[in-house]
Amino acid sequence: MRKNILLLISLLLVISVGLSACGGETEEVTEEVSEEVTEEVTNELGIDCMGAEAGDEVSILSQWSGTEEENLNAILAPLADACGIVFNLESTRDQALLDTRVQAGTPPDITFWNVTQLSQYEDLLVAMTDLGVNTDNYADYWKDIGTVNGKWLGLPVKADPKTLIWYSPANFEAAGYMVPTTWAELDALVEQMVADGYVPWSLGMESEDATGWTGTDFIQDILLVTQGPDYVSGIIDGSIPYNDPGVKEAYEIYGKWAMSETYTVGGAAGTVSIGFNDAILKVFSDPPEAMMVKQSGFAGGTITGTYADLVYGTDFDFFGVPEAQGLQGGSDWMMSFSDSAAVKALVAYLSSDVGGEKWAEVGFDLTPNMAGADAYTDAALLKKGQILSSATGFVPDIGDSIPSGFGSAEFTGITDYVNGGDLDAILDSLAEKQAEALE
Amino acid sequence: MAKPKVSAVMKQGKLTPWLYLLPALIVMGFFIVYPMINTVSLSLKNKDGTASAATTCKEGEPCWGIFENYRYALTEELNTTTFETTWQSFWESSYGNTLKWIVFMVSGTVILGLLIAVLSDRVRYESLAKAIIFMPMAISFVGAGVIWKFIYDFGTSQVQIGLLNAIITGLGGKPISFLSTTTLNTFMLIFVGIWMWTGFCMTILSSALKAVPEELQEAARIDGANEFQIFFKIMMPIIMPTVVVVITTMVINVLKLFDIVYVMTGGNYNTEVIATRMYTEMYKNFQTGRGTAIAVVLILAIIPFIFMNIRRFMAQEAMR
Repeated sequence: MRKNILLLISLLLVISVGLSACGGETEEVTEEVSEEVTEEVTNELGIDCMGAEAGDEVSILSQWSGTEEENLNAILAPLADACGIVFNLESTRDQALLDTRVQAGTPPDITFWNVTQLSQYEDLLVAMTDLGVNTDNYADYWKDIGTVNGKWLGLPVKADPKTLIWYSPANFEAAGYMVPTTWAELDALVEQMVADGYVPWSLGMESEDATGWTGTDFIQDILLVTQGPDYVSGIIDGSIPYNDPGVKEAYEIYGKWAMSETYTVGGAAGTVSIGFNDAILKVFSDPPEAMMVKQSGFAGGTITGTYADLVYGTDFDFFGVPEAQGLQGGSDWMMSFSDSAAVKALVAYLSSDVGGEKWAEVGFDLTPNMAGADAYTDAALLKKGQILSSATGFVPDIGDSIPSGFGSAEFTGITDYVNGGDLDAILDSLAEKQAEALE
Repeated sequence: MAKPKVSAVMKQGKLTPWLYLLPALIVMGFFIVYPMINTVSLSLKNKDGTASAATTCKEGEPCWGIFENYRYALTEELNTTTFETTWQSFWESSYGNTLKWIVFMVSGTVILGLLIAVLSDRVRYESLAKAIIFMPMAISFVGAGVIWKFIYDFGTSQVQIGLLNAIITGLGGKPISFLSTTTLNTFMLIFVGIWMWTGFCMTILSSALKAVPEELQEAARIDGANEFQIFFKIMMPIIMPTVVVVITTMVINVLKLFDIVYVMTGGNYNTEVIATRMYTEMYKNFQTGRGTAIAVVLILAIIPFIFMNIRRFMAQEAMR
C-alpha cells in the first residue's frame, strides 16, 4: 500500500513538473493588455484602430528587456487601451533566434531589430506604405535608410546618437578646460590633459561576444569628421573598400589613443579588457580615472544607475564630437511580417503625432518621429533631440548595415589591432569580407 | 492465458529483433543520420546552400573546386609565404590551439587524476578529498567560464576584483591581463578545463586502481620494491586499458570543447578552437558552407579516437 501511494505521489509530481514546463512559455511572454479591456474602449486620443477588434493579438520580438521593455509597454499602453489589442512581447539579444524563426516560417508579426534585417528579410516584409503609415512625420533621410529596392520596409522607431563625448563639467572646470568646438581643439585638449597628468580617454571595449563595438563606433565617428557622411555611406554600399587610406588613417588616429597608457586607461590591455559600462563609469568615479568617454546616449542612464547622486548638467554632460558632419547612431527599426488589422493599427499609431509624443514622453531614447521633437521630458534627451534634428544627415552604424556577419568581423578586427595585430592585414581581410557580404 | 511453450519463446523470427529496434533506428535516423548527411552536402555548397561551392572560387587564387569550403577551412588561417610564417601561423590558428588543448588538457587531467587517485587511496579522508576534486564537474561549462573570467579579471584601478591579479598586486607586482595576452591566454583557458575534468578522470582511474589485487602489491613490497616501482611496474600495466579509454574519452571531449573559450574570450586574442570557429562561421558570418566544412573536419578528426574507444570497449566486453 505504501509503495502504491509513493508511486502515485511521484507520478503526480512528475506530471505537475511537466505541465509547468509546458506552461512556462506563456509566463515569459508579457501580456500588455490591462484588465480594463472589459470596459468600453475609449478613444479620446483619436487613435485609429484600422479595423482591429478587441482581443486581436500581435506577437512582437525585440531586443529590449528590463527597463527597455517597460518603456515599450508604456508606449503601447494607449493603443492597447483604445483598441483592445493584445501585444505578446518576447525579448532576446540573440539574432540567431529571429533568423531561425523566420527561416522556419513562423516569424513574429512584428520585430524591432536593426536596419540590416530590412535587406535580409526583404522578400518577407510588408511595406510600411501598405500598413497605413503616416509619411509626413519622418525626415527624408530616415525614409531613405528604411527603403530597400524602392519599398519602404522599416519604420524607424528609436534613435540613439552615438557621436557624443561624455565628460564631467565639474572636473573640466576644476582643471580649467573648455569644451572643444573643432577637432583640432579636441586634439589639443587631449595633449593638454596628458601634460597636466590626467588620462584623457576611457576607451574600454570589452563586451563578451561583441567586444570591439565601442572601437568601431569611434572609428566611424572619426570618419564622419575626417571624410564626411557620403564616405561612410560609400563604405556601407560597397563603393569604398574598407582598406581605403581614409579608413586606415581613422584607425591610426584611434590606435594612437587606444594603445597607449598615457592616452587611455590601462593602455591596449585596458582597452580590450575593460567592459564598456565600466569604461563609462571611470570618468565619473572619485577620483576620476579618465576625463572623457565617447559613447552613445545610453551612457547617461549608466551613470545615474551607479552614481545616483550625480546631477545632469553639473556632474555629467555631453558634447557632440566636434566637426562631425552628420550623426552616427544606433537605430531600431520596426518591420512587419504580417498585414493584419492590428498590425496596421500599430504602424499607424507609432507614426502618428500621438505615438511620437508618447514615445518622447516615456523617454525611450529619441524618436525619429518629428511629432515628438518637443515632447521630451528629460533634459538630456531634449539636448540630444536638438542635436538629432539639426543634423544634416544620419548615418547608421556600418557594422549594423552591412549584412552577413561583417559587423562581428569588424569587432574582431579592431580588437586584434588594438591587441597588437597588423593593421594592413586586418583591413585587407575586412575589405574582403565587405565585398563578400555585399555581392 | 496459456503459458507459451519454452521452445516458442526461444524461437524469434528473423525479423523480430529488427522490429524491436525500429523505433530507436527511426529516431536515430531522423536526428543523427539525416543531419550528418545534410551537413556533408551543405559543406559542398555555397553560403546559402543554393549552388555548388565551386561557384565561390575567386580568380587568381587557388581553388579546390567543389571542395572550396574545405580549402577555406584548412588553409585560411595559415600564412603560407614561407615555412617560418606557416609554422608561426599554424600555432596561432584554431588547429594549433586545438592541438595545444589536446596535449596539455588531456595529459593534465589524466596525470592529475591518476595522481590524486593513487594518493587519496592511502588516506583516511579519501571520500572528502575525492568529493572536493569532483565538485567542479557539477558546474556547467558556462558557469565555470564565468567564475574563472572573474578570477582572471584585469582592472586598472587600485582595487582589483580578479583574484589572481589581486594576489599579484598584493605582492607588489603590476596586474597582468591574462585573457588578452596571446602567449598566456590559451594556457589559462586550458587550466580551467583541467580544473573541471580532473574529477572525471580521477573517479574512473580510482575504481580501476582499486581493482588491482592487493596481494600483488604486498608481494612486491616483500620483494623489496619501493612505492614508485610498484606504481610504474605493477599498477600501471594493469590499469593501462582503462587509462587508454580515459585518454580517448578526454580527447573527444577536448575536441568538442566550445563553452570555455566562447564565454571567456569569445575566440578573440588567438584563442580560437575548431568548435568556436565553426560557430563563428555559421552564426556570425552566416556562411553555411564554411561552417559545415569545419564541422566535417572536426568529425573526421574525432573518428579515429571513437574507433579506438569502441575497440577497447569491445575487447573488454570480450574478456568478461
